[in-house]
Amino acid sequence: MQIRVGVYICKCGTNISENIDIDELIQFSSRLENVAYVKDQPLLCSEDGKNFLASDVAQEKPERVVIVACTPKEHEKTFRNTLLRADFNPYLFQMVNVREQVAWVTADKAAATEKAKAYIRAAVKRVTLHEPLEKKEIECNTDVLVIGAGPAGMEAALLLAKAGRKVYLVEKNSFVGGRVARYEEVFPKMECASCMLEPKMDEILHDENIELITSSEVVEVLGYLGNFSVKIKKRATCVDKEKCIGCGACYEPCPVSVRNEFDYHLSDRKAIHVPYTGALPNVPVLDQGHCLRFAKTDSAMVQEALDLGLITQEESENYKKQDCTACQEACMFDAITYDRQDEILERNIGCIIVAIGFELFDPSVLPQFGYGKIPEVYTGLEFERILSQTGPTGGKLFMKNGQEPRSLAIIHCVGSRDKKHKEYCSGVCCLYALKFARLAEKHAPGAKIYDIYADWCVPGKDNQEFLDSLKEKKNVYFIHTNLPLSVAVKQNKDSLSVSCVDVSGKENPLAADMVVLCPAIIPARDTSRLSEMLLITSGRDGFFAEGHTKLAPVSTNIEGVFIAGCCQGPKDIQGSVAQGAAAAGQVLSALVPGRKLELDVIIAEADENSCAGCMTCIGLCPYKAIMFDKEKKIAVVNTVLCKGCGTCVAACPSGCLTGKHFTEEQIFAEIEEVLK
Amino acid sequence: MGKPKVAFYWCASCGGCEEAVVDLAEDILKVVEAVEIVFWPVAMDFKVKDVESLGDGEIAVSFINGAIRTGEQEHMAKLLRKKSGLVVAFGACAHIGGIPGLANFVNREKIFDWVYLNAPSNDNPGKIIPQEKTQVEVGELTLPKFYDTVYTLDQVIDVDYYLPGCAPPPDLIMKAVEAILSGNLPEKGTVLAPDKALCDTCKRKTTKPEHASIKEIRRVHEVMLDPDRCFLDQGIICLGPATRDGCGERCINANMPCRGCFGSTSRVEDQGAKFLSALASIIDMNDEEEIKRIMDSIVDPAGVFYFYSLPASMLRRRLDI
Ligand SMILES: Cc1cc2nc3c(=O)[nH]c(=O)nc-3n(C[C@H](O)[C@H](O)[C@H](O)COP(=O)(O)OP(=O)(O)OC[C@H]3O[C@@H](n4cnc5c(N)ncnc54)[C@H](O)[C@@H]3O)c2cc1C
Ligand code: SF4
Ligand code: SF4
Ligand code: SF4
Ligand code: SF4
Repeated sequence: MQIRVGVYICKCGTNISENIDIDELIQFSSRLENVAYVKDQPLLCSEDGKNFLASDVAQEKPERVVIVACTPKEHEKTFRNTLLRADFNPYLFQMVNVREQVAWVTADKAAATEKAKAYIRAAVKRVTLHEPLEKKEIECNTDVLVIGAGPAGMEAALLLAKAGRKVYLVEKNSFVGGRVARYEEVFPKMECASCMLEPKMDEILHDENIELITSSEVVEVLGYLGNFSVKIKKRATCVDKEKCIGCGACYEPCPVSVRNEFDYHLSDRKAIHVPYTGALPNVPVLDQGHCLRFAKTDSAMVQEALDLGLITQEESENYKKQDCTACQEACMFDAITYDRQDEILERNIGCIIVAIGFELFDPSVLPQFGYGKIPEVYTGLEFERILSQTGPTGGKLFMKNGQEPRSLAIIHCVGSRDKKHKEYCSGVCCLYALKFARLAEKHAPGAKIYDIYADWCVPGKDNQEFLDSLKEKKNVYFIHTNLPLSVAVKQNKDSLSVSCVDVSGKENPLAADMVVLCPAIIPARDTSRLSEMLLITSGRDGFFAEGHTKLAPVSTNIEGVFIAGCCQGPKDIQGSVAQGAAAAGQVLSALVPGRKLELDVIIAEADENSCAGCMTCIGLCPYKAIMFDKEKKIAVVNTVLCKGCGTCVAACPSGCLTGKHFTEEQIFAEIEEVLK
Repeated sequence: MGKPKVAFYWCASCGGCEEAVVDLAEDILKVVEAVEIVFWPVAMDFKVKDVESLGDGEIAVSFINGAIRTGEQEHMAKLLRKKSGLVVAFGACAHIGGIPGLANFVNREKIFDWVYLNAPSNDNPGKIIPQEKTQVEVGELTLPKFYDTVYTLDQVIDVDYYLPGCAPPPDLIMKAVEAILSGNLPEKGTVLAPDKALCDTCKRKTTKPEHASIKEIRRVHEVMLDPDRCFLDQGIICLGPATRDGCGERCINANMPCRGCFGSTSRVEDQGAKFLSALASIIDMNDEEEIKRIMDSIVDPAGVFYFYSLPASMLRRRLDI
């Protein structure tokens, strides 16, 4: 059966005609099977050219169209749209690239003409096998998922909520505020951190557009800009937030006492607890890992540990499951129920902002600082808790023995700017070191404070002034060293000795009661897991990679996924909040209510009648669009998620998957004709 | 009207397919009752001239097994084609080339050199190798031409249907015979077996993880094979996912992986290439060197992937010899 194919040859000014014999192509093409007519044009992509194409196709009514012109990367879309104007299905069209692939790669006109002929022959054959494909559109979802409720995530959530967007704010902890919730004061203005944060946290809690999902983590993400679906795992906390008024009556009677991770194990908490006084939301969490009702350790194991003398009889009691109800009895509001299970929540959204913050480099990797071995050596974050009024010492600067230190050494750049560890500058340590000096001076008047630094990194409006103000203090001593640091901390009988070689080469033996390290800021623990789940890339140092270092600092390689705050790289609160706001702006411009999303039509199709359920294809899809239907035992392609990459099609060993517009038949026909 | 006439013939094959007919057991009596066998060199004394004397299309159906590797086989296939209404390619060798088709990795010269001259078991001081024509006292003796390449049956004659398998299992043979006798036939060119992959009915499928991922490829003699677990999941190459169903998992049930004798499904152009691309997608490794090491551990990859299907594949044969 004849199929009417119309061939249009573009000369592209002289780009194509200079190197290819157009008359010969016209003659050659018109002799090909199925070709009904051949026409040439000086510049098919110009307004005149497109108008000609549209009206000619409307008039000639071909069944298939072949356009011989430039690369489809440049104008396939243009011509598809033009054909649509003529009511012609744009997928019944094939483009032949005789410019980039032929005219521009040889000066031999005869050879170029021959090559162009082979390409046209292939396209004419292929196009007869094309099927019409219909475009599909779906509503674009304008809701937003924000992961991480630190300063960056909170800012993004609040701005989006103000713009009327529904925001799902997922926070791993039971409280919001991020790292900053642990601080007493913040540099450079020495503002009270909780006074600064609380109004924001309160807004987060009460904004109707924000659904705050605490004690939770995102476990699955599918989809793309405008159409993501996510699964969120919410840990069972056993306390009903609607009923609980936060009175705290339940902690006291709980018999289990464990180290409080919020205070970096410097204080104790109960199995049911709030991490610190003032945590928001003010709802306690029952930690099933330690609650006696949920003790998982089986008695044989406990017995063995007892037999080996690893635990005492008394301790062994703690490992046994007990039917304790102390907290439930203490609660006057019936807020505690023990039969709660972890839940999986499902949400559909249009964009994702990742703001999962940072971690500190583990200084015990560098034994010269004694961290982990010498009790009075702390990290910056631990020291924050010691200084905090809600911390283990109630805001008094005490050592572990309950005494005020008479001297304190603060060491910058631990692990930072070090080729062997983290090459980059962590950006905020100089300033929080100064903050510590200021606070220590206030809390322990008269104590000697040594600040051991390698360089000063205090850019910005207020920070130099902050540094200068501390340089004026009599009992703050600045010691300038070189990198890599030649500093060693040793435990002496009743104090620590800190030896340090300064820039002049002089050895400074110092005695200090307490040492505070400023370890490098490194990516949060979940960074790599999230980058796999969201398919976003990370840079050399493990932080999420921005779309462009200068011009797209909160974008990622994936459309619809943005990053903000320290997960993109070390920065202070101001920088984190600014990025949170920037990400919110990006989302607002990317997701416009009412705008439709066009779905890919060139996608894979699974034939459910022939699939053997061998599962070769499952798990291969880079867009997670192919799933196994456990009931029917066959593979199913999600047509909304599929991008038509063809990975699964190539993999299916029994040929049950077809790549639309790239069927085996079409591809083989094309190859055969080129090689003829 | 008399009973429909049926012929059986063998070309390059091992004889297993003839066995398969006999294997029909009591069912064979039903067949014999319903048809008149006019040619069956293995079992009955007919001569070629008996076939030649039949009218064109007089035989209702010819079942031809074996690949085509000699001139005589081609001649007989053509003769039977002329005399038959239907031709069924019977068994893996006629269908896709089969084990004889592995000879396409070499050529006639290499085969003769080895078989008649170099194989250690030979005693051939005169270095005699088969000739198509030999003059002897009484005249000229001829032998059929031995081709360089092994062909599938449909590469030399038009084939109506295919019965796959090494050898085809009795239930499929009976089904085919019944369909032919009742005239209830599918579209010409159909392979008379299910058109899904073997995994569909393999009882080990339930043990296959959602995404099988292989870090090491092992051979059957190197491991204790778990009789219940999917072979691929044990790192053993099993062609099941790329092979048509219908064999009744004879190999799998004998704790041996599928070699692919049923050929591919109708949707696949090249069974070996398809399996290779499937295997490549379940190798659980990103490091290029490691991937190379794993793939290099496959001894004779072409022979493994094209165990049965080389002549029917896009490769057909090795060219650089
Ligand atoms: C010792 C120290 C002192 C500092 N002092 C100051 C200061 O005085 N002034 C200043 O401007 N800056 C200071 N900084 C820097 C400041 O802490 C950061 O700029 C700020 O915390 C970054 O905010 P963020 O929202 O990006 O991350 P974070 O504050 O780290 O918040 C991230 C949030 O994401 C959550 N999260 C992590 N993983 C997941 C997950 N998988 N799912 C859900 N939620 C997740 C975390 O629980 C956390 O709530 C200091 C830093 C340090 C180390
Ligand atoms: S073609 Fe297959 S692998 Fe590619 S996106 Fe679609 S379903 Fe996924
Ligand atoms: S690879 Fe093919 S046969 Fe196997 S599960 Fe996927 S679609 Fe089905
Ligand atoms: S790969 Fe082989 S063993 Fe595994 S399910 Fe398929 S046929 Fe069975
Ligand atoms: S398991 Fe494979 S090789 Fe064995 S009979 Fe079946 S199809 Fe043939």
